Amino acid sequence: MPERFAFDSISLEPSPVVEAYKVDVDRTLIRENLRLSPDERLRKMISVLRFVEEVQRSAKVDR
Amino acid sequence: MTDFGRLLATLVDARVEFIIIGGVAATAHGSAHVTVDLDIVYGRSVENVERLAQALAPLSPYLRGAPPGLPFRFDTATIWRGLNFTLTTIAGDLDVLGEATGGGTYEALLSHSETRQLLGLEVRFVDLETLIRLKRAAGRPKDLERIAELEAIAEERRKP
Repeated sequence: MPERFAFDSISLEPSPVVEAYKVDVDRTLIRENLRLSPDERLRKMISVLRFVEEVQRSAKVDR
Repeated sequence: MTDFGRLLATLVDARVEFIIIGGVAATAHGSAHVTVDLDIVYGRSVENVERLAQALAPLSPYLRGAPPGLPFRFDTATIWRGLNFTLTTIAGDLDVLGEATGGGTYEALLSHSETRQLLGLEVRFVDLETLIRLKRAAGRPKDLERIAELEAIAEERRKP
């Protein structure tokens, strides 16, 4: 018997604050990601992270 | 950089019962944000705490942000004395939670999680609705942007 999840009581009703933030969400990126599998999404995120780190490393060397 | 594959393999190989929450779970659901650490909720059974402590020992876990040289050991006694730990390891940053904000224990989250292949490993992560609830429960201003994105993902998924 699964334990009762306290968060069940947390509303998922739209919040005006969150709705305001939603305007800036890039849905093209989301749609692109939704065409991938969860595994592909994580691999893509890791490659972006590697790229960012590489850029940061290069910037340090140039200083 | 956090070696997500190594952290996950360490936990899976040791048969640690855990559920991925946070940024990696968000990524698995389609978030475009980049995350630099792995957040997990672990089961607090005697056997699992033992497995967790033994699994992480070779990764030299240490309290993230703490000054070096503290007599900290991430062993079973430490885990039982505490609940949630923000760790740094030689494989990267790892948040090990006995309970996510609002009562999200491993047992409670189990039926709100899905098992999928990530980086060649079969792992559990919380479902999208629960991830949104977790973020809402945390109530941190910095999460508002993330919540907005997760809700947008849910909306996009519902579209025919």
